[in-house]
Amino acid sequence: MDDRLERYAELVVRVGANVQPGQEVFLFPNIEHSELARALTRQAYRAGAAYVHVLYNDAHVQRAMIELGPDEALTYSPEWLKKLVRSCAGNALLATTGDSEPDLMADLDGERVGRAIPQEIIEIRMQQLAENTVNWCGIGAPNEGWARQVFGEPDVERLWEKVAFCMRLDEPDPTAAWEEHLTRLAERSARLNELRPDALRYRGPGTDLTVGLLPGVRWISGAHHTAGGIRYVANMPTEEVFTSPDARRTEGTIRATLPLPLSGQIVRGLELTFEGGRAVRVEAETGAELVRSHFETIENADRLGEVALVTKESRVGQADTLFYDPLFDENAACHVAYGTGFPFLADGEPPEGMNLANHHVDFMVGGPELEVDAVLADGTAVPLIRNEEWQLA
Amino acid sequence: MSANGARLERYAELAVRVGANVQPGQEVFVHGLVEHAELVRELVRQSYRAGASYVNVEYGDQHVRRAMIELGPDEALTYSPEWLKRLAESMAGCAQLGTAGDPEPELLADLDGERVGRAIPLEAAELFRQHHKDRSVNWCGVGAPTEGWARQVLGEPDVERLWELVAFCFRLDEPDPVAAWREHLERLEARAAALTERRADALRYRGPGTDFTVGLLPGARWGTARFRTAGGIDYVANMPTEEIFTTPDSRRAEGTLRSSMPLNLAGQLIRGLELTFENGRIVQVEAETGADVVRGHLASIENADRLGELALVTKESRVGQTGTLFYSTLFDENATCHVAYGFGLPYSFDGEPDEGMNVSNIHVDFMVGGPDLEVDAVLADGTELPLIRNEEWQLAD
Repeated sequence: MDDRLERYAELVVRVGANVQPGQEVFLFPNIEHSELARALTRQAYRAGAAYVHVLYNDAHVQRAMIELGPDEALTYSPEWLKKLVRSCAGNALLATTGDSEPDLMADLDGERVGRAIPQEIIEIRMQQLAENTVNWCGIGAPNEGWARQVFGEPDVERLWEKVAFCMRLDEPDPTAAWEEHLTRLAERSARLNELRPDALRYRGPGTDLTVGLLPGVRWISGAHHTAGGIRYVANMPTEEVFTSPDARRTEGTIRATLPLPLSGQIVRGLELTFEGGRAVRVEAETGAELVRSHFETIENADRLGEVALVTKESRVGQADTLFYDPLFDENAACHVAYGTGFPFLADGEPPEGMNLANHHVDFMVGGPELEVDAVLADGTAVPLIRNEEWQLA
Repeated sequence: MSANGARLERYAELAVRVGANVQPGQEVFVHGLVEHAELVRELVRQSYRAGASYVNVEYGDQHVRRAMIELGPDEALTYSPEWLKRLAESMAGCAQLGTAGDPEPELLADLDGERVGRAIPLEAAELFRQHHKDRSVNWCGVGAPTEGWARQVLGEPDVERLWELVAFCFRLDEPDPVAAWREHLERLEARAAALTERRADALRYRGPGTDFTVGLLPGARWGTARFRTAGGIDYVANMPTEEIFTTPDSRRAEGTLRSSMPLNLAGQLIRGLELTFENGRIVQVEAETGADVVRGHLASIENADRLGELALVTKESRVGQTGTLFYSTLFDENATCHVAYGFGLPYSFDGEPDEGMNVSNIHVDFMVGGPDLEVDAVLADGTELPLIRNEEWQLAD
């Protein structure tokens, strides 16, 4: 048995999703992730899972639907699938990323690719995120196709080494290393919550953007708790502290610093211009049509839902690798997301300024030249990030 | 497109058009193992080309199943998740395509056979079976060649050779496979009609290790794998299919039946299975390997110990002609005569099934045919009418 694979899966099950004895566990892997999915299943049962549900996703099936299926199929949510996703409430969920064929949809009609989202399913999942009823963890699943995109050759072993490094599996006691790391991030988010900035200001090549913050919405990091009190780490790796901004107060232009793989296409050089909180212009070297179709077909996709700060201590940053996967790349550098905000960051009902949408797409804006300031209520600018280093004591 | 790609496309097209006979606007459910992805994807494409409104795909993973049996709690073994029950219910009025061909036939061999046999989601299985009773799904099961399956069949992972054998069984070598299938099904239907007309009271099996009599039911027809849904859609439930079959009187089975081919069951290989019946029930299970899996079924599943199907196959069978042991029920049951323990087939009856039809949550076919097997129809007056000798059909149409 592959020791690294089992240790990885065990860390994810115990520290990530923190599967509780008697819980059911839901896995939604791509079909190319079966090796990891099987190890996760084993570790979940070892942790005392009552039952492990594995629903494989197949991008080729999705492609066939977009290419050959009728229009109604694109947004259809089968009843059984809604039931399955609803069943996640109160249970644990493990999601794997690592696109084995990132260009699979590249030759298809971008508008149809962008529209192919089972809306009702996403709503159910969004509701669960809002109510915080699921202890979940998203992780990477190395495979040949992903390795080829990262390294130009299908060197899965090398990708595994990178992923294991980002996961702190090289530490003598990975669980202890994760506890220490999560504490450091928690201190940063606590400091920002004390500071209560009114806005963030981003400046860098192609970027000059101000985005408002909401007084009742917390900054958080790595570890979360479900409504029922189960602590979990929603993403592994995680290096970010983040919040949901005031979606009404976004002005200016922000340029992505890393390519963004999206629905089987690669969006390069994305540049969004905001007026009155909404994206009024989308430019990109490739894939702009896909982002535009999100904005046109999904309500409030054209407003920001997340701002996240990452510094160069990041293991992902240190890996110095473009992973072509938001789970990793968003932890290499500062990022923002268009689409839904996170209602669980507010106590009670989400405040009026928080964006709600059926979609959430992170894109990276960080880099050595990006400066991020907190703008306080009195107009004072407090440097948060310079040279990818954390500035706040 | 490569020659192999073209073959895969023609194979999937035949399964979708002749097999399940997917109708424009129908929703389709495809079930396959993760190792069958190449074929599953082609079935999805062909279904959309045939006008499917949506294709649902649910992949199975035997390693996930192994983990459940090895490491999961007892309750997990028979648990039917709500979503799976909903999926089963959703299939009413829809088309279904399933793929067979075990990529790792010995995967569960080292596990507790009793737990392996018990690991069936009972409530969901009942819902899936309801579609048989209601004739509410046009479905088709086909083979999916994989390296592991090829290794078992041919002794080496020669997938290409296995594909050639499977394509031969599928009549893809015919200039017009659709016409060849029509002719083939008509021949089987003529046999079934001739045998139904004789209204035999019982079948008598004699062969090496086998001396067995099983009663027939007055209301049960002999049929073929060509069915019609309640809504009038014709479909071929298994491809290949070479059998004519009926549901026996499960109360009247006496004697011993020895299987003539290995049986791949729940990831274990059952060799030399020998079942002894008294008053319709299996009272003794012997096998060289895997007897515990069968005993697990019989001990934990009600009426698994009675027969549900009798099927007759002769040497004209394309599967038989390959001379190949496929280690897959879908193929091997079409190589030779077989019987099944577990549930009977309600569609053997024009109206309500006769009382003697077995009702259970499982159905396991095993092969009993071979050159030395003699099958006779026993008429009501005791006359014995030869049906099969030397694997040849004896009854005139």
